[in-house]
This record gives sequence, structure tokens and C-alpha cells, in this order.
Amino acid sequence: MDAVAAELAEPYLVIDQVTKRFGPFVALDRVSLAVRDGEFVCFLGPSGCGKTTLLRAIAGLELQSEGAIRQKGQDISLLPPSARDFGIVFQSYALFPNLTVADNVGYGLVGRGLRRGAIQARIDELLRLVGLPDQGPKYPAQLSGGQQQRVALARALATSPGLLLLDEPLSALDAKVRQRLRLEMKDLQRRLGVTTIMVTHDQDEALTMADRIVVMNEGVIEQIGTPEEVYTRPATAFVADFIGEMNFLDGALTDAAAVRVGNLTLALPAPVASGPEVTIGIRPEDVRIDDAHGIEAQVHHVEFLGAHVRVSLDHEAFGPRGLVADLAQNLYRARGGVAVGERLRLGLPPERLLVYGRS
Amino acid sequence: MASLPHPRAARRRTSSDDWVARGLILVVASYLVVTLIFPLFTMVTRSVEVFRFDLDLITVQFQTEAGWQAERSVQDWIEATGHEVNAGVRVSERSREQILRIIPRAEFQGVDLVRVHDRSDGRGLVMVAGQFIGGGNSWEGTPADLRRVQIRPVGEFGLANYTHYFATPTLRQSIVNSFAIALGTTGIVVPLAFAYAFALTRSCIPFKSAFRTIALVPILVPSLLPAIGLVYLFGRQGILTPLLMGESIYGPIGIVMASVFFVFPHAVLILTTALTLADQRLYEAAKVLNASPWRTFWTVTLPAARYGLISAAFVTFTLVITDFGVPKVIGGNVNVLALDIYKQVVGQQNFQLGAVVSMVLLLPAVVAFTVDRIATRRQVAMLNARTVPLVPRAHKIRDRTLLVVCSLMAIFILGILAMCQFAALFQFWPYDLSFSLRNYDFDRMDGGGWAAYWNSIRMATYTAVIGTAAIFLGAYLVEKAPRLGLSRDFMQFMAMLPMAVPGMVLGLSYIFFFNDPTNPLNTIYGTMAILVVSTITHFYTVAHLTAVTALKQMDKEFEAVSESLKQPFWRTLRRVTIPVCLPSILDIAIYMFVNAMTTVSAVVFLYSTHTALASVAILNMDDAGDIAPAAAMGMMIFYTNIAARLLHMATSRAVRSSQAWRQR
Repeated sequence: MDAVAAELAEPYLVIDQVTKRFGPFVALDRVSLAVRDGEFVCFLGPSGCGKTTLLRAIAGLELQSEGAIRQKGQDISLLPPSARDFGIVFQSYALFPNLTVADNVGYGLVGRGLRRGAIQARIDELLRLVGLPDQGPKYPAQLSGGQQQRVALARALATSPGLLLLDEPLSALDAKVRQRLRLEMKDLQRRLGVTTIMVTHDQDEALTMADRIVVMNEGVIEQIGTPEEVYTRPATAFVADFIGEMNFLDGALTDAAAVRVGNLTLALPAPVASGPEVTIGIRPEDVRIDDAHGIEAQVHHVEFLGAHVRVSLDHEAFGPRGLVADLAQNLYRARGGVAVGERLRLGLPPERLLVYGRS
Repeated sequence: MASLPHPRAARRRTSSDDWVARGLILVVASYLVVTLIFPLFTMVTRSVEVFRFDLDLITVQFQTEAGWQAERSVQDWIEATGHEVNAGVRVSERSREQILRIIPRAEFQGVDLVRVHDRSDGRGLVMVAGQFIGGGNSWEGTPADLRRVQIRPVGEFGLANYTHYFATPTLRQSIVNSFAIALGTTGIVVPLAFAYAFALTRSCIPFKSAFRTIALVPILVPSLLPAIGLVYLFGRQGILTPLLMGESIYGPIGIVMASVFFVFPHAVLILTTALTLADQRLYEAAKVLNASPWRTFWTVTLPAARYGLISAAFVTFTLVITDFGVPKVIGGNVNVLALDIYKQVVGQQNFQLGAVVSMVLLLPAVVAFTVDRIATRRQVAMLNARTVPLVPRAHKIRDRTLLVVCSLMAIFILGILAMCQFAALFQFWPYDLSFSLRNYDFDRMDGGGWAAYWNSIRMATYTAVIGTAAIFLGAYLVEKAPRLGLSRDFMQFMAMLPMAVPGMVLGLSYIFFFNDPTNPLNTIYGTMAILVVSTITHFYTVAHLTAVTALKQMDKEFEAVSESLKQPFWRTLRRVTIPVCLPSILDIAIYMFVNAMTTVSAVVFLYSTHTALASVAILNMDDAGDIAPAAAMGMMIFYTNIAARLLHMATSRAVRSSQAWRQR
């Protein structure tokens, strides 16, 4: 295979069996992953799952204990950050407080053989790009949080890096600004076509922005998939629990296509190959209320959540946790509300059941 | 996609930036190793070096008309004559014995020639006119020439110096004295400083800023000065002597009073910080729960300040036990550890015993330092961004009581300084109260004259400039430079060490290390350089911590961002780190300057005739009985430090207003 073909065959960024240990603690355990050119990938997971460590390893700020990282077919595993090709935005933005916005944006343009005029032109272009055309002479402290975030983004993009790394870039902002910037950043990324990796613990952020999500937990990748895949077909019980809401029921397989939960027998959509002990998952919005052939359960609690109503249901088979079902507001109104103590018939559609082995 | 895993733990390729950072940290770390670890190590080895005369190995033979007589060893002669070796004084490195002193003059009757035979190995024991004759060789000469023959002691390692130290009651007594005085001063200063700090932070007394300034004044003068002031106030002709009711100021009373003066600002600073951290909400909770003010004080105020109190107590204890200026001036015949080091070294030239006393003094200093570090760390951990600051409310009785306490303390501090200034300006206090500048004619006195004053200013300026640059750079590398690994931890440890080493100990260890002719650094001995080096090292830790605090407040990702933008670290250091930290850098510089002006302890062993310092001149003039000129010189240091502080304030203000980004 010649070199050009190899480059075409190899994704933009390859993380190959990367392990990072801090003393006895394993922060990353043989993590492998490939990112395509121009893709927007989110590392999602709870704090301490290793997502930031992985990002810092890609940047060269943290040296992996084992494994290799390749960017554009070149092994960058052992290169210092300054020899790698990336721009980075941190959670704190790390804007230099004593330099103006323009100087911050132009910080990386010095020493590249550019003339003063060219640098100024590039700064202006970037500030226009992030929607801050007149803010150049100001100091960071004079800007709002959202504006500071955009300056940090402009500074990271100034040198036209092949890879953009974002470390929780929106978490320091309040909810409204965050939602607006999500769209803006995604739009900007699409226009520039820059391969982007963002670390976040906010599932909404990951679901709305990413082309693909890498769900991580305790140093390993639980699942890699599009937002729709990880939401509708979570690969593990952890992913199912971490993203969105999920009911879990403990049961045992009676044969490959049915599972026994307490005194109930549930049909499964497809044969499952697993040990007899399983956990069944179903999302609250997938529980069907007023199903003619359903299971009879008693309403324990009704919670008004705006767009929908959450109903907690008790049944011997559901165990102490019970089962929650989400009822869209219009359906709720149509059936004339739900009263505590009322008995409902509910259906658990086989095609919406998720089955996870239990050890 | 599977590739072979890396066989060994990965090692990063090193960028040129990394090499620069490593090179710089190596320079700063080696500085601390050479100026602290090596000298201290040399001192430890010297403290276990024991000297004795090996007189069995030297024989003497007389030639008379009857020819050469039988050889007799010098030891034989000693046993025969009952001569006291080294006049009964403990043998040290510098002791010399002479055959002429051992063999009675009468024995030389009819002797034409004397042959001295050195039967030892190697360099030998016998010196003639300052030259070793060498082991195994002999020397011949007339009895009159025997004058030029000296016997040198041999050195070996052992604990005899320590056993001697602890077996000598007068030396042992110093340990008791030192602890008693340090504990007594701590017992007085901590409650007093607590009340003062409480008044500044939690009460509604008037003139708070004036009181705050006055409390810090003693930092600007050497510890010798309050002792001199007290001599004038309470000495034999003192105006306040009757207040002592027959007790003498020379001794524990004087030492404690002068110590209270010079450690007071340190304790007040620590306790003001501790008390500023009050949380309004706790006091509101106490009030809602109907706790009396007294109960609130014991259950809320004191517990919140407990680490500050511990820290203040240990800092006070360390400062007093390691100070030598105060007991030197006003100690009378009371000996303390720090003074013993001076006396052993300067008075008796017994360096080994000086090293032993240093080791004894090092122990409490290291313990106190460790406790203080732990307490300070806990105190910092209590800082909480969500704390609601306390706004003090007026309370008549409490505020009046505190005002009285503060006023008395302020009068004590200002009174001592005023006394020194008056004494300096009068012809001859208290007999001739006509105005005179005679006491400022330093060139007529011993101690170095006006040259000493200018030396001090030069020394303090070098210390401030070089010290600040080196210490800030070291702190920057420790805090910010990426990928330094173990050298970072080593450097962090090294930077904390100087605070645990008393100045006297540092100074003595410098004699041992730098005055050794085999040391290539020997050339700096007796120069301005060694004074600057010792002072920088002596005050390294506090300056380092100031720099670290400032650096920690900066975003920890600045260096990562600058690396991702392919910028060398020194560009970010120059463009961002230094401008942002400039106020703290100026704070470090003034700290170094003021301390270099007032320090006596380390430099008292290291100055030479060309590099006498103002603080040392005070000591020497006081020693020579020129007390008024000593006071005058002390006040010169005071005014110089005030001028330096004003300059510092003006510069800081100018920096703040010239850096546009600081304005919101």
C-alpha cells in the first residue's frame, strides 16, 4: 500500500490502546478510538471517568503510560505539545488578563514570519468570525463570560490548527448563554470543517453538538455512537443510566426470548445470548399508559414537569424503586389527569426493552 | 488498527523549551544546594570533629657535651613535669602546644642542640615556623630556636564535643535560659498580639490604620535597637528605672521586653490574617441561638483562629530563640544558645563547639518550623470563597478596653524608638541635654563608620534585585514550567528549608564551608558577594512563598495555551506572568531589602573590614560602649527602611495605574 492510500485509509486521529496510570490509579485503560477528518466528537462521562485525561493526552499535556496516538498518519505519542497540531479552549478560557482581546487572539501568530499587517488582518478576520468585530481593544475582564469564551475560541483557531480541543468550554456559563453558544459553536465548526473533540459532562450538550459521542466511565469507553444510537440503543447499563432517564428491573431469562420479572413474564424483541440474570431497561417515555393488555399497577406519585407529567407506579414485580412513566402533557390532559392511588394498566413494548447481562 | 504496545513506559521527546526550563531549575536548585545543604553538611561534620594532642608520637633528644642523650617522648615530659596541656583549655582545631612550655627551662642547661622527632604518619604534627616538617622527619636546632616549633593537634570523628557540651553546666544552662525566655516572650506576645489584631479586625476602635502601621514599625529596625532603647529607658541612668523596683534591665526582663518589641509585628500579621477570615453567618447563628458574647468568643472566634494562634506562637518562639542581637546588648550575664554560638566562635575561636551549639539550636527551630507549616496549611484550607465577611459592631466596654491595650502597645513601640532618637541627638544623655550631631560622626567610632551604612544600602539593594529575580524565577519554574518531574519536588523542598535554619547557624556554616581554602568558592569569602548570598538564602522561604501565592492565583492553563500556540515559555513569562505578578514581585523586593538592612545574625560572621554593615556597626559600637552612636545608626536604618517602603508604595501605585487592564 503506498503512502497516499495509507493516509486515505487512516482516520484523521487514531488513539490506539492508550493507558494512563497515576500511581496505582488507572485513569485510562487501553482506550482505542478513531476520529474522522472534520468530525465533531464529544467525550461524555461523569467526573473522574478519564475524559479530560484523554483530551490532555491528545494535546500532549499528559503523557500516556502506554499506547500510541497518531494524527494524520504520524505518530505523535511522544511529541511535546508545542510540536503537535491543535488549538485548545479550556473551561476557564485562560485568557491573558493583561493583554487586549486583539493581543490574545494574535498571541500565537507571532514568530511565524507574518508581517504586522497580516497579523492584524487575521485578528480582525477571527474576531468577525466569532461575532466580536469591535472588541479588539478591550481587556478580557471587560467582556461577558460568553464573549470571553468566543475570544478563547478565536485564539485557538488563529493558527488554523487541524484539530480543535475543547475542555468543558461552556460549563462556566449560565444556561441561556450556553444554549445559544452551543448552536453558534456547532455552526462555526461545520463551516470551518475543523476536526473537533469536546469534553463535557453535560449530556444535552453532547447530544445536540456531537456527530459522534464517546461515552466513558472509569477509564474505559462504554460506547461510541451517534447521539441517536447512544440514546436509543445504549450499549451498556451504564450508558443507559447516564444518558437520559431509565427504569431498571431485575429479572431472569426463562428462554432466549422471554424474561421473568417477579411474577411477570415479558417478551423480548429478539433472542438474547446472556446469563440467566439480566437487567431490563425501559425509558419512561416508552412506557405505554392505558394499555388494554397491560400490567396493573398503582399510582404512587405524580410529578408535574412542564412539558410532561412523570407518574411513579408501584407493582410487586417492580421492587422498591418502582417504575416511572412520562406522559406527554396533551395525553395527560386528554385522559383527564392521573390521581394518586389510581390503578393503571401499562404496557412495556418488547421492541423498546433493553436487556443487559448481570454478573 | 492494532499495533504493538510500547514495550516500556513511554518517554517523551524533549523540546528545546524543556531543556531551557530544566537548565534554569538546575541553576536555582544548585544555588540552594551550594548555599545551604553543603554548608550545613560541613557544619554537621565539624561538630563531630574532635581534636587532641598526640604527644606520644613526638620525641625530644638533647645533645650535650657528652653527645646525644636518650630520647624522651613529649608525653613523658608532661607526666614528669605535670604540665597542663593547652593550659587546661579544651583542645580545638586552632590550639597549639609548644615544647618550650612543656619542658622546664632549667632542663636546657648545657644543651647545645635539640632534636625533635615526629614519629607520626603523613603530614605530621610538628610545625616549624608555620611549616610541617612531615611525619617521620626530625628537626634540629638550638634551645632558643625551639620557640619556632609548634605541635598541632590531630582531628578525629566522635561525639566528644557533644558529651563535653552537655557535661558543662554553664553551656547546658543556656538551653534552659533560651527556652524559658522564648516561652515567656511567646506567652506575653501571643495574647497581646491577639488583642491587638482583634481590635484591628473585630472592633470599632478609632485610628485603626494608624495602629496597624505602628504595629508593623518594629520590622524596620534591627532587633538590637529595642534593646538599646530599653537600656536608655531602664538602664542605670534610665528615666523609667524606678518602675523595675530594683530589678535590673540587664537579663531576662530586658531580653523579654526587647523581644516582645521585635516579634510583635510578626504575631500581629499572622493573627490579623486569621481573624479576617471570620464568617458573618456563624456569628448570626450564635446570636439566633442566644449565645452570650463571651460564649460566642470561646466557641466561634477562638476555634476559627486556632491555626493562626498556633502559627503565631511557633513563629514567635522561633524568632526569639534564634535571635542573638537582643541578648547581646541587654542580656547581662545571662547566656542563651544564639549568643553562645557567637561567643564560642568570635570569642574563643572554638568552631567545633560553636557547631555543637548550632546543632542544639537547630533542633527546636526545625520542630517549630514544621508545626508552623502544618498550621499555616490548615489555616489556608479554611479559606472559603463563600464566606460572608464579618462587619464589626460597636461595643462600648470592649472597644474602650481594646483601645487602651492598643494605645499602650503603640506607646511602648514608639516610646522605644523616640528614646533612641533622643539619645542619638543629645550631647550626652541624660547629663548633657544640648543638641549635637556628634553621635552621627560614625567615622570616629569603631564599627565601620559611614562606609558601613553605605555598604548596607549596597548589600540590601543587591539582595533585593538579585534575590527577587532568582527567587521569582525559582518559584515560577516550580509552579508553572511543564514536565519537570522530580526536580520540581526537590526544588519545592529546598525552597522551604532556609526558614528552618537560624541565621547564626547559617552564618557559622558559611565560615566552615566558604573559608575552606580547598573550596573553589573560597574567593567569595570576605566579600560583598557572600553577604548577599547568605542574606538571599536566609530569607529565601518567605519570598518564595509570596511568589508561589501570586503564581497560584494565575490560571494554571496559561502555559498549556501558550504551548499549543507554539510560543516559548519565556515569552509568556515576559508578556503575561511577570506583568500580572508585578505587585507581588515588588513586595518580595521590599521584603528582601528591609531584612537585608536589619539582619545581624548570619552576616556577623561573614563581614570583613571592607564590608562592615550598619547593623553590625550597631553591635560593635554598643560593644565598645558607644551606645548613643549605636542608637543613631539604628535610627538611620529605620529611616532608610521607611524611605524604601514609601518608594515601594509609590511604585506599586504607579504599576497599578499604568496597567490599564487592572481597572474595571
